Amino acid sequence: MDPLILSFAVVNGVLLGGIYGGVALGLSLIFGVLRVVNFAHGSFLMLSLYIAFWCWSLLGLDPYLSVFVTVPAMFGLGYFVQSVIISPLIRRERALVVEPLSALLLTAGVFLVLDNLALMAFGPNVRAVQVDYYLPSPMLGPIPLNPQRLIGALAAVLVALGLSWWLRHSHMGRAIRATAQNRDAAALSGINVPFVYAVTFGIGCAVLGLFGSLIAPFMPISPSIGVAFGIKSFIVVVLGGLGSIPGCIVGGMVIGVFEAVASQHITATSAAIGSLGLFILILLVRPQGIMGRA
Amino acid sequence: MSSPALRLTNLHAGYGDVRVLRGVDLELPVGAIVALIGSNGAGKTTLLRTVSGLLRPTAGTIELGGERIDTLPPHRVVEAGFVQSPEGKQLFTGMTILENLIVGAHTPRARARRAETLEEVFELFPILAERRQSPASALSGGQQQMVAVGRALMALPRVLALDEPSLGLAPIMVDRLFESIARIRQRNLSILIIEQNVFQVLEMADSAYVLENGQISMSGTGEALLKNDHLRETYLGL
Repeated sequence: MDPLILSFAVVNGVLLGGIYGGVALGLSLIFGVLRVVNFAHGSFLMLSLYIAFWCWSLLGLDPYLSVFVTVPAMFGLGYFVQSVIISPLIRRERALVVEPLSALLLTAGVFLVLDNLALMAFGPNVRAVQVDYYLPSPMLGPIPLNPQRLIGALAAVLVALGLSWWLRHSHMGRAIRATAQNRDAAALSGINVPFVYAVTFGIGCAVLGLFGSLIAPFMPISPSIGVAFGIKSFIVVVLGGLGSIPGCIVGGMVIGVFEAVASQHITATSAAIGSLGLFILILLVRPQGIMGRA
Repeated sequence: MSSPALRLTNLHAGYGDVRVLRGVDLELPVGAIVALIGSNGAGKTTLLRTVSGLLRPTAGTIELGGERIDTLPPHRVVEAGFVQSPEGKQLFTGMTILENLIVGAHTPRARARRAETLEEVFELFPILAERRQSPASALSGGQQQMVAVGRALMALPRVLALDEPSLGLAPIMVDRLFESIARIRQRNLSILIIEQNVFQVLEMADSAYVLENGQISMSGTGEALLKNDHLRETYLGL
């Protein structure tokens, strides 16, 4: 195969994979801290995309500027969902680990409600943001980079680095890590565990808000868009290592590169199936994920 | 007369249908060391979990320095001044010693004098200062126990509860730990200590309570209990 085309595919895969990783960050963070698999993850992304879309179509706000709306709005929504909907379940099981199945069913319920509300409110039509300016494509040697994807991938890396740093060094970040490691011991150290959970859920959703705005310029938006991203996020998070933030980006890039390279040889749909095969293969060798702890 | 540091009145608590505590009365005077002894399953740890707010009492009251704390969530109980070093140490194993101690000083009150308290804890347990950057999981059992006690001290307790501090420690480490507890006492802190190491703890405590089947079966000064035949048979095997 022509090396230029191959390297073009790899670069494209890295960029797209970075975005997959960025979208999955919130899922990984929420699972790492609350041990809740958020089935509604994709639906939250879908909502962020719609917020970005309506900001553009009603207010004329550039999608990149809509982050100032999507990020706080999604933080608020995440905080609300955790403290009002999921928290009673965790409180009921106070002394024990959260029953994974009940939390899964609950968030699956949130997913069904959100997706169908969106279908009712917005209809099944596909919408798209159209900006009337043209971003120049930076060149990496002979390879042109898609500017919108480059912004998304860079943002994913920056958010992952920033989040890791914040979790390591800030007062709240330490409280979040302590709560993730030992919920009871954290409470006995004076940490307000329900508040930490709500903030964590809020941050996870705020990251989705950011990526909703960043991918809105090139992503066709429909009420069912969340499902595809949700499933991809699960794969990325498990592949990278559950709860590992750098692993999330790495996992995203592995999937992105695989799909981009494979679709040079076979159709893109078959490549997506192949990425599931790769997923199973990697987990057979490393069940804890690429960067997960055993 | 001033109120005791901690007073439990007719305390009932349990898990679901299982009633573990069935009317516990206990008083910890200010500045005293009180021991709570009892066999496995008597309800000692449940009692501490209930006072800490991890478990809600089904009846009875808990007063800390005269204020009711039995409806507060766990983090507010810590803020009010009751802090426990839990059974099995429960360290944050993915963190360093220093981080474990810093997390201990989470409440605004404790955070305000975190640097000073940290110095005091390092003075009490110099080995922790030396190894402050080591991961908590890499420590020996005795050092982990020091981190657990140190972390509890970081929260600036008025009442410090220690749940089985000597469990799984070599005798020499137990000696050292009890020496440290004696020194902690000089900070005018009230201490509630749960122990299986009955002989040593009764010598150190001002008074002691014996918990059997969720009720206090005996109480008195350490000296008096050491002479009690029932206690000697049951807990000391003499």
